Amino acid sequence: MRDFLRNPAGLVGLCLLSIVIGAALFGPWLAPYDPQQFHPKTRLQGPSWDFWLGTDQYGRDLLSRILNGAPSTVFFGIGSTALGVGVGSVIGVIAGVAGGRTDSVIMRVLDGLLAMPELLFTLLIVTFLGGGTTQAMLAVAVTFAPGMARIARSSVLSVRTREYVMAATARGESRAWIVGREVLPNALGPIIVEATIRVSFAIMIGATLGFLGLGAQPPSTEWGLMVAEARQFMFRNPWCVAVPGLAIAFTAMGFNLFGDALRDAFDPKRSR
Amino acid sequence: MTTRPVLDVQDYSLAYDTPEGEVMALKSVSLAIRPGETHALVGESGSGKSTLAWAIMRYLPDNARDVSGRIALSGEPLLGKTLPQMEALRGKRIAMVFQDPSSSLNPTMRMGEQIAEVLMRHRGMDKAAAWTEAEAALARTGIQRPAEMMQRFPHEASGGEKQRVVIATAFACNPELIIFDEPTTALDILTAQQILDLFLRLRQETGVAALYISHDLGLVARIADTVSVIHQGEIVESGPVHQVFRAPKDAYTRALMAAVPRPDERIAVPEPAPARPLLQVQGISVRYGADGWLTRLLGKESVPFYGARDVSFQVHPGELLGLVGASGSGKSTMAQVVSGLRDFTGTVQFGGRDFTARGDFDRAYRRDVQIVFQHPDSSLNPRQTIGTILSRPLRLYRLCPPAKVADRVRELLEMVLLPPEFASRYPHQLSGGQKQRVAIARAFAAEPRLVICDEITAALDVSVQAAVARLLTDLQRKSGAACLFITHDLNLIRQLAHRIAVMQRGQVVDSFDVADANSPDRHPYTRALLDAVPLAEEFQGVTA
Repeated sequence: MRDFLRNPAGLVGLCLLSIVIGAALFGPWLAPYDPQQFHPKTRLQGPSWDFWLGTDQYGRDLLSRILNGAPSTVFFGIGSTALGVGVGSVIGVIAGVAGGRTDSVIMRVLDGLLAMPELLFTLLIVTFLGGGTTQAMLAVAVTFAPGMARIARSSVLSVRTREYVMAATARGESRAWIVGREVLPNALGPIIVEATIRVSFAIMIGATLGFLGLGAQPPSTEWGLMVAEARQFMFRNPWCVAVPGLAIAFTAMGFNLFGDALRDAFDPKRSR
Repeated sequence: MTTRPVLDVQDYSLAYDTPEGEVMALKSVSLAIRPGETHALVGESGSGKSTLAWAIMRYLPDNARDVSGRIALSGEPLLGKTLPQMEALRGKRIAMVFQDPSSSLNPTMRMGEQIAEVLMRHRGMDKAAAWTEAEAALARTGIQRPAEMMQRFPHEASGGEKQRVVIATAFACNPELIIFDEPTTALDILTAQQILDLFLRLRQETGVAALYISHDLGLVARIADTVSVIHQGEIVESGPVHQVFRAPKDAYTRALMAAVPRPDERIAVPEPAPARPLLQVQGISVRYGADGWLTRLLGKESVPFYGARDVSFQVHPGELLGLVGASGSGKSTMAQVVSGLRDFTGTVQFGGRDFTARGDFDRAYRRDVQIVFQHPDSSLNPRQTIGTILSRPLRLYRLCPPAKVADRVRELLEMVLLPPEFASRYPHQLSGGQKQRVAIARAFAAEPRLVICDEITAALDVSVQAAVARLLTDLQRKSGAACLFITHDLNLIRQLAHRIAVMQRGQVVDSFDVADANSPDRHPYTRALLDAVPLAEEFQGVTA
C-alpha cells in the first residue's frame, strides 16, 4: 500500500476515484436543486453564484444533474464490467485449465466474437434487446466477455506451466486443488487490473449509447445522455456539453490510473 | 609494464537509489587491463560484476548514480561522456558479448545484416562493402558456410552458431576492449568448449584486451591472465591468475575455490548393498508435438520428434544415479516421465509394480517418488508461505496428525539448516539457495523412496551449489532414499554419484560406475564430455 501511494499516477487515480465514488454515493443529497426543475428565466447560462456550473436548455442546474447522474453512470460502469469480467474469466479459466479440444473450440468461438468492433457489437445487442439502461449494461457485459476470457486464459496458461504447478501435479494433488490454490491466486492479478481499466471503457461505451439514444432515456441524468441532449445548444452555452463530458473523462481517467497503479502494486515481489 | 592500460577503473563506486534507500552496488572498485590482456572478473550473482560491465558501457538504469572514482578507456575518461559520444564508442571501441546468444540477436533481422549494421555504423562502409567484410568476420569465427549463415535468421541457427555471430559482431570493428559477460554459460559443455577455443584464437589474432565476467573459476583459470574476485561490490583480491589461484589470500577467494567441485573428492553416501532395483525404466519413448486431428485429416503428417527414445536405466535402493547430457538430450524429459508429468510409452517398474501409462501412477507412487526442480524461484508458489508449502505433503499424504504439522514443518526446516521462523515467510523473501533448500525439504517431507533432482544446482552460485549438494547426500544418508540426479556438470556428478548414465539426443549412450569414468572403453561422447571440463591443477587440495 505504501508503494501504491508513492506512485504519483496511483495517487492521482485514487484521488479522482474517491471524488467520483463520493459523488456516486452522496451526490443526490448534495445537489443544491432538483435535477429536473426548470428555471425558465435562466436558460443556457454559464457558471454563476446561483448555478455553479451553469444551466442547460431548460434552465436545469448542471451541477445538480451531474451529481444525480453520478450513481447511475458509475454503477453502470462497475456493474457491466463486473458482469463481463465474471463471465469472461470463468470461460477463460475453463479453457485454460481444460486445454486441448475444449480450449480450441471455446477460443475459436470467442475469436469470432472478438472480430466484431466493440461498439458495433454492443449496438447489435442493444438492437436485439431494446434500449434502456439494463439492456445497455448487458450489452456491454457481453461485449467484454470474450476479451476478458482471452486475458484470463493467457494468464492461466502462463501460470499452468510454472514449476510449482508441476510440483503439485507430481505430488498427486487433485485438479480442484491445483486450479484453486496453485493456479488461480497467481493468475488473478492481470484479470483484476484489466477489470479496473475496463470500467472506464464501460463508462465511455455507456455514455456513447446514451448519446446515441440507445441507453438511458430522457429525462434521465445519465452523463452521456446529457451530452447528447445539449449538443444542439453547444454554441450558445458550451458548458452544458463540457461539464458532463469532463465528468466522464475524469471518471475514466481515475479508473485508468488506478488500474495502472494496481498492476504495479499487485506484483508480490514488489511489496515488502 | 609501462604501457597505458586499455581500461582503467580507479576507486569507482556506484549506488542505486531504491525505495528502501541507497544501495551501494560497487564499492571503490579498481582494476586495470593492459593491451592484449584478458582480465577475469569472478563473483557470484549479485556481487556487482555485471553492474561493473554496464558502468563501463555507461548504460545504467536511471536510479544508478556514480558516487566516486573514474573509468578511462585508453586514458580517455568515460564518466561524463554524453549519450551521443558514448553511442559512437559502443560497438566501435568497446564491444560486448552477452550470456544468452538467442536473446542478444534481433529475431527479425538476418544475422548478416546484424553484423553489417555495426560495420556501416562505425566504419562508414556502404552496404556491399559491409556485407563482404561481415562475411570475412564470420569466416574468422570458423563457421562452415559464412555466406549462407548471413542469410539466415537467428532461429535458424544453433546456440553455438549464434554465439559465433555475436562474437563476430563484437570483433568486427577491431575494438580496444571486449566485455564478455558469461558467454558460455547458456551453452552446452561441448559448444562452450568450442566457443572458448574460438575466443582464445581470436584473442591471439587481434590482440584485443578483454574483460571476462564469469562465475566459473575453473574456466577462468584456463583462459585469463589476471583475475579480480568481486564480493558484494568490493574487489577482495586481484592479481595474475596463477598467483591468485595458487595462493589465495582472501578468505572469500579460498571459500570460492574450495567450492569448485572436484571429481576425486567424493561426497556421496557409501555404496549401498546390492539389491533388486527400486526403479527400472524400460524402453521409454516420449514423442513431442503429435499432430492435431485436423493435420492428420489433411494427411500432412509431420516427422515425429522424440524427446526420449527407447531409454532404459535402473536405480537401486539408496544409490545416486547421475543422468548426464547436453541440453536437449532428453534428461529432463526422463525426469518428467518418472515423476508422472509427461505421457510416455514403455514401462516404469517401481518397487515391484509396473506402470505403462502416465494415468497409472497412483498417489502411493507419487508419494514415493518426489521431484526437485531446477529453478528455485519458480518451484515455490509465490503466494504461499514456506510453512504452507512444507505442510502440504504432510497433509496430502496424511503423514502426521493435523496438530503436529507445525512441529514437523519446524523439524523439516531444521533438517535443511534453515531457521524455523522461515515458516511464516514468503518465497521472495528468501535467497535462491534458501529456496532450493525449501524445495528439497518439501521433497523429503513426503518420506520418499526416490528423489529426482532435475539440475537442482544449475541455477545456484558455486558456493551454494556445494552446500546444496552436501545437504542432499546428507539427507540421503539419513533417509536412505535413492536419488536420480540430473545434471550437465560432470565434475559435480562424479563427486556425488555411484553410477552415471550419459544421454545424447534422447538415448542413453553410455552407463558406468563412477570409478570407471576414466577407463578406455567409455563411449566417445562420454570421453568428449569429460575432456571438456578439465580441472586446473590449482584447485587440487584447496580448502576453506
